[in-house]
Amino acid sequence: MHLADNGYHGYGPAAGELLFQVEGLSFVYPDGNQALADIAFSIGKGDRLALVGKNGSGKSTLVKLLNGLLPLQKGSIRYRGRETGPSFQPVPRQETGILFQDPENHLFCNTVFENVAFGPMNQGCSRDEVEELVRGCLETVGLEKLMYKPAHLLSYGQKKRAALASILAMKPEVLILDEPTANLDPRQERILQELLAGFPGTLIIIDHDLLFLYDICDRAIVLADGRVHHDFSIRELVSSQDSLKEHGLDFTFRFACCGGRHENTPIVPHHHHHLSHDHGRNGVHVPAVAREPILELQHFSYQYPDGTTGVSDINLAVYPGETLAIVGENGAGKSTIAKCLLGLNQGDGYFYYKGEKMDRRRRQILWRQVGMVFQNTADQLFCPSCREEVAFGPQQMKLPAIEIEKRIEEALHRVQLEGYESRIPLNMSGGERKRLAIAAALSMHPEILLLDEPTASLDPESQELLLEILKKLDMTKIIITHDMYFIRDLSDRTIVMHQGKVIRDYPTPDFLADRHVQAVNGLDYTYKNNCLEKIMDLQHNHLHHGG
Amino acid sequence: MHISDGVLPTTISLAAYAATALGAGLSLKRIRQEDLPKIAVVTSSFFVASLIHLPLGPTSVHLLMPGIVGALLGSAAFLSIAVGLFLQSILFQFGGLTALGANAIMMGLPALFCGFLFQAIRGTTLLRNTIAGALAGGLGILLAAALLAAFLYTSGEDFIGVAKLALAAHIPVILIEAAVSAFTVSFIFRVKPELLHSVLR
Amino acid sequence: MTETLPESTISIHLSGMALILPASLVVLSVAILLAVLFLKKKKTPSKGPSDWSIPTLDKHADRDSFFHNWNPAVKVAALLLYCFLVVSLKTLVCSAAALMISILAVYSSRLPWRRSLQRLAAMSGFLIMFLLVLPFTSREQPGEILLIFPLLPGFPFHLNGFLLALTIVVKACAIALLMEPMLATSSLSATLHGFSRIGIPSPIIQMILLSHRYIFVFHQELLRMLRSMRVRGFTARTDILTMKTMGNFFGMLFINSYDRTQKVYEAMLCRGYRGNFPAFHTLEINGKDLAKGGMWIMIGFILLFIELMPSFPSP
Repeated sequence: MHLADNGYHGYGPAAGELLFQVEGLSFVYPDGNQALADIAFSIGKGDRLALVGKNGSGKSTLVKLLNGLLPLQKGSIRYRGRETGPSFQPVPRQETGILFQDPENHLFCNTVFENVAFGPMNQGCSRDEVEELVRGCLETVGLEKLMYKPAHLLSYGQKKRAALASILAMKPEVLILDEPTANLDPRQERILQELLAGFPGTLIIIDHDLLFLYDICDRAIVLADGRVHHDFSIRELVSSQDSLKEHGLDFTFRFACCGGRHENTPIVPHHHHHLSHDHGRNGVHVPAVAREPILELQHFSYQYPDGTTGVSDINLAVYPGETLAIVGENGAGKSTIAKCLLGLNQGDGYFYYKGEKMDRRRRQILWRQVGMVFQNTADQLFCPSCREEVAFGPQQMKLPAIEIEKRIEEALHRVQLEGYESRIPLNMSGGERKRLAIAAALSMHPEILLLDEPTASLDPESQELLLEILKKLDMTKIIITHDMYFIRDLSDRTIVMHQGKVIRDYPTPDFLADRHVQAVNGLDYTYKNNCLEKIMDLQHNHLHHGG
Repeated sequence: MHISDGVLPTTISLAAYAATALGAGLSLKRIRQEDLPKIAVVTSSFFVASLIHLPLGPTSVHLLMPGIVGALLGSAAFLSIAVGLFLQSILFQFGGLTALGANAIMMGLPALFCGFLFQAIRGTTLLRNTIAGALAGGLGILLAAALLAAFLYTSGEDFIGVAKLALAAHIPVILIEAAVSAFTVSFIFRVKPELLHSVLR
Repeated sequence: MTETLPESTISIHLSGMALILPASLVVLSVAILLAVLFLKKKKTPSKGPSDWSIPTLDKHADRDSFFHNWNPAVKVAALLLYCFLVVSLKTLVCSAAALMISILAVYSSRLPWRRSLQRLAAMSGFLIMFLLVLPFTSREQPGEILLIFPLLPGFPFHLNGFLLALTIVVKACAIALLMEPMLATSSLSATLHGFSRIGIPSPIIQMILLSHRYIFVFHQELLRMLRSMRVRGFTARTDILTMKTMGNFFGMLFINSYDRTQKVYEAMLCRGYRGNFPAFHTLEINGKDLAKGGMWIMIGFILLFIELMPSFPSP
């Protein structure tokens, strides 16, 4: 059932007290960008609302207005019946807590304790109250042992939870989360999901991941171009595949099957193309394949400077022209392996590139042949124009100017960014920036392209475009991801890593059919797959019974 | 180059501290309360940037960038530099704690001056902004080196030789800083020119 | 051959054997430089040319010692005053005594020596300049001993200048060694709270704390950007392309920092920030703290008085 925009309060809030009443809300940024146009809806106490829509549809603006961080320009917002008038100074409402995407911005005090205590102390609580409150909140998020740890020594997942604790400590009535699952692996996602399920107040969650939202939220508001396109239950949202596609939210291509429990992880039989050491007859080494690998790791290990093991006993051969996927949860060693393949890390064992053994000197020029696209494009783009960005690599290689021009044009064409030469990378969208980063690697004509979590923080539409571009790239590709749905269409072969070891190495269809692996690795999509079945049922019904 | 403890006579150190305190106090009065945390966060990026070594022939140099700090922060530059120097002293021992006042004067005053100079001459075109950046960058180091030499000289006539050497040692740094500052300003002008309007004054 | 200068300095022309003196100075300098490099190398995991780590100042603040059990405000006030007293010393002997006291202080604070040695290493460049230049460029004093080396006839080595330089070096080391016991024996915010009690206005203290927190964040960003550049073939040289790349790099870093500062500010507002950080520490001062402070100040004054005594040998 598709609703007209403007003023029709479709599904409506849950029964009970009305918290927010929004009418005719519009907002224009100083640079002229009209973020919101004539928004109207209500939110009731206890609602669990999913706010979805393409990037740029106005979601973040809307929540900042609800919270009071942005001044009201046009329209009205009633909180608990009282209207907030237009103001020049933002005064955020104490009862609404927002968790922004980057937890670093929330952790501005030096220790975890101080961060969590900051809010309550500003609210006027006494020292003892604060102490108790902090302890309670940290216990809720599971960080009570890290109470006095300096904030910069926490891992990403811990920082996210500490940021959440710091907001929960203020006992907000309404909790708003802006893309809470970004950069989290499935296990951390589940911890977060449990925490949110336990939150007693009203929830508003902005995210792209419908599967995460499905179990937590009961209502969905879909924004598009600053207007409310749909306002209905979440069941209705996921039922209609068409409306999902319309808003860049189609998830059907991510589905796969789930698995049971598995106790033992067998040793992966492997073979070595280059005979570098004596093989025992323990059945582990199998006869070599006819093709010559472009890259080969034999019994390769890497230890971090502080002693922790990065990867151990890796046996991996990459063949020219194939697309290899490396899957595994965060901490499994995927990024470590990538850095080793790039020559950034010096490990023990044998590392052959095109038949040559890699020593320190050769490692340092490995970058010429292996192109890498890191997970976070912000760290990778630093030139004032796309042209210069793509030209950077060839310039460092001291190529003649004509050749550089040619490469720029070719690289931009391959990622569908023709005509973007003088655009400023900083002002481009997330998907465009990711493609630019790929172009910057391609312009060096590498033989292998390494992509580390290419789909992280991209919305589904951009993910599909990226998939298309990567399919057309005719070269050896290694894609590291914990999103196995993405690589289903892309890779020929999948390597599964767990705790620094390779535990599976087989063709991708076998991986997708392998029921055991997923549970062992914490790639536990069980809860998602339950939802999935419900969703597919709903969609099936919708299609066959017309709504 | 940061002055370490034990070099300057106590009277000079204390006088410099007094001057720095005065400068900081004046800054605090002029800057809006809500801009202070913003200046602090930006200061840490300057701090981190100044830890990078650039090769200079056989050795390497740190870039201190008083010129850029002045250009971007305007009158808040003095406070920013003082905070940055304090942290450099307690974390890395770049500059002694007793010499903090002197170091702040040495870096902060050129930053302020170059900041005003930059705003005055930068105009509206890329070329003019870039040249203004180069001038601010180079002049910042020149003035800082001159102040360093002056401070060393206050220790007595014995120190003339050291003062001259310190001044001479900064000459190649002036050129590098001018070049890097020019490119930095050029980048910011093309990508986010609003920052050059000294949004955090 | 000897020369008699009108100011009746004593010139000693040295034979080739005396080259041992400058030779040993050179060897000493090289040894110090190697030690510095060794320390730097150990400090940074050798991942690349520009990887270093930012130390956590209060990493060992939870230990037990004379300095750990001392109220941070009194500690900072007393030791800072003591440092100024040491800076005022003029003789090598008293400065050396101060150095001994500082070494004892580091020992008694039960802090790892590595950090203190790193501080010394950080000053080494600046101080070596004094050691090598002052002896040749200081003013000639009446009654001074000049050493004239066979290879440097026009550049007499002034022993007075050398002693002056040595005094400076010793004083600098004495004070630098005291920094770890002073700053690393309480949690960072407690130490900075101590600084606020001796006169630094609390808005500035808040700025320092906030800056400190985000140093680590930008440091990580910087390392990742440098890594990306290196992976695309960037090597720093002394040429225009390097300057341009670094200029772009700094520009990007600063632009990102402005974005982040806006976001941090918004997050602060959402947690009720109205211009002041809440006071996390309420530290009580007891008699023991004051006694410790008094002791240090007394030691400083004693050193100064010793120098003023008429029977004390002048430098």
